[in-house]
Amino acid sequence: MVFILGINFHEARLVRKTLQSFYGIGPQVCAHLLARLYIHPTARLGSLNNQKVLDITAELSNMKIENDLRRELRENIRRLRDMGAYRGRRHAMGLPVRGQRTRTQTSTAAKMNRIERLG
Amino acid sequence: MRPTTALLARSVWKGPNIVPLPIVRPVPGQKTPPIKTQARGATILPNFVGLKFQVHNGKIYHDVTITEEMVGHKLGEFSPTRKNFRYTQTKNR
Repeated sequence: MVFILGINFHEARLVRKTLQSFYGIGPQVCAHLLARLYIHPTARLGSLNNQKVLDITAELSNMKIENDLRRELRENIRRLRDMGAYRGRRHAMGLPVRGQRTRTQTSTAAKMNRIERLG
Repeated sequence: MRPTTALLARSVWKGPNIVPLPIVRPVPGQKTPPIKTQARGATILPNFVGLKFQVHNGKIYHDVTITEEMVGHKLGEFSPTRKNFRYTQTKNR
């Protein structure tokens, strides 16, 4: 078991997949991170030595990920809503924000667009 | 790949959309009427903060008081143009 940011991961898991399981890290950021720490893209957690794991943890603790990022997202939407801007109003109504059609196919907007957005 | 969404915004060489508005500095003690305008595309500049505008939405003029965080947005963003659909049984209601 490898311990990263308070979560236990299995050793056979890919480092790439592990990093991308955090909210705020996608393929792009993950690739940059691995390149900076000299980790092969197909490396597994078990193959990393202790120093590498510590490096990863240090890098992650400096980034805005998980709940910090979610909070920032929510604050941005709340700011738009409090101003009374069009975008904030569309978020509150659960409708598309950027001029998409609303006659059909607004399920993503209904799911995501709200004041207290989940993520 | 898109390096930054800032590139999708208005061209920098144009600068912000500055519309000549009849801005009167509010004199303390005197009541100044709100600025009536149809220029929805006008960028809100830092010197608008605290002023009252009446922004046209195509039909009526909406009252908008400019606060500090509105700077950089457009006047039209604060004057809704659409009416919510509401079902009525007869048209003559």
